[in-house]
Amino acid sequence: MRKFFPVEDLARDSRFTQINMRQAEADPRTALVGPNAGKRAKVNRLTPSRPDASEAARNLMHGIFVGEIQALEGAGRTCHDFELPDSKDPLSTDTVPFALKLDMARQAWDESRHVEISVKLGEWMGAEIGQFAENTILFEAACSNDPVMRLAGVNRALEGLAIDVFTTMKEFGEVAGDPFLEFCEDWMLADEVTHVKMGSDWLRKVTENDPERRKKALEFQSIVDRLFSFGGARSESDDSPIGLARRFRELAGFTTDEVDEIADVSLAALEARKAFSAAAMASAE
Amino acid sequence: MADPYKPREPFAPWDRRQLPGLFDVEESARRVGNYKWAEMKLFETLGGWVATVPELDVKMRLGTHCYHHAWHAELWHKRLPELREMNPDRLTQPANDAMVRFVAALAEPEAAEHTIEKLVGVYRVFIPHFIAAYTFHRNNTSEITDAPTIRSLDFALRDEFDDWRDGEMLLQSLIETPEEVDRAAAHQARLEKIMLEAGGITGPGTIGGA
Repeated sequence: MRKFFPVEDLARDSRFTQINMRQAEADPRTALVGPNAGKRAKVNRLTPSRPDASEAARNLMHGIFVGEIQALEGAGRTCHDFELPDSKDPLSTDTVPFALKLDMARQAWDESRHVEISVKLGEWMGAEIGQFAENTILFEAACSNDPVMRLAGVNRALEGLAIDVFTTMKEFGEVAGDPFLEFCEDWMLADEVTHVKMGSDWLRKVTENDPERRKKALEFQSIVDRLFSFGGARSESDDSPIGLARRFRELAGFTTDEVDEIADVSLAALEARKAFSAAAMASAE
Repeated sequence: MADPYKPREPFAPWDRRQLPGLFDVEESARRVGNYKWAEMKLFETLGGWVATVPELDVKMRLGTHCYHHAWHAELWHKRLPELREMNPDRLTQPANDAMVRFVAALAEPEAAEHTIEKLVGVYRVFIPHFIAAYTFHRNNTSEITDAPTIRSLDFALRDEFDDWRDGEMLLQSLIETPEEVDRAAAHQARLEKIMLEAGGITGPGTIGGA
């Protein structure tokens, strides 16, 4: 088995259709400007009062499901792809400590449970596996050759997004009167806070004596955060279906400044998405 | 009311544990180091395979079992310093070169069409050998002096049996044709031959008789 597994080779059964970020953003059904924009609710945040709430919730749940599969695959690959540090070269950037591998294995188990939970929740909500396309951006962030980049991209950015998504879904379950959904999201949220904290702790520890590497990792996290803002799908604006879960992010080890920065990045991504959609509409006319 | 000052036997009549055991501290540590190495290789392989299998139920089981074996590796890692090995990495070793070749052959299948080979290697070869090695150690070490190892062996064995059952059921549900039976058997035989050369997870004498 190879070290470092390319995203194009992710194994799926025949129900799945995979797309990349650009294809997802170009989907006219999610346009924030142009002729389709008027068909959407004025407030985009996922609430039961939205006319398309059921479909949007199923779509989001399916997104959680495929995201959990990729998070499981990413954690598993980190167990496999890196060797233990050589005592002769303890600062090597392509090794990981034994305890970090153990944490990644634990995360693989957690993500397996999340896949199980999201399959059952999807069924409960009336969705089918493969009903929506799978955006593979999450696994791409887990493909770096530097384990610290993976911690920044997956544990801090992706799992941070999961905190936001689960908080939104938990609130949706609460408002919609669906205790089953609220219960499950709350449990998954607890795991995700643990995963983000794990990432924050390891990032600090592994780069303790390498400030340049830490800087690069945090820059990479910022890039991934922008990508995971899904063109504004996650921000503090009501135009975004998913909110920013400040309290849980702080529990997971983010500082207030870091959360502020993600809020700014997310808002900028929302504006960029609007501009991209407007340009696409203009060129189509 | 019973007299609390009445002398009682230190070992109750139903407690038949014995002091003698086959392994001294060094031998127990050597075996534990081999276990840790083998469990590590297994959890790394399972983690790597998750992305390569298209079957969703298999994918989730591999993720779950990956953690079980990581936890066993952690148990053995913690046990080593208690067995006078202050540098656990020194004893975290394969029993011999054949074990290294066994793990390489186990981890070789990668293609999405090779789920049967992946599962056969783990659930029809490697895990049964773990069960054998752990059972032999558990039943032959001193029940009193080496009780902490026995406790970890019991935890690990419970997982091994449960995981073996999961894996065997997955395999039985995946094997649908006589050709697939042959594929499974051929891969099992190939791996068993290397394991035979290794003498088991801790080398010759893994289950006695060396």
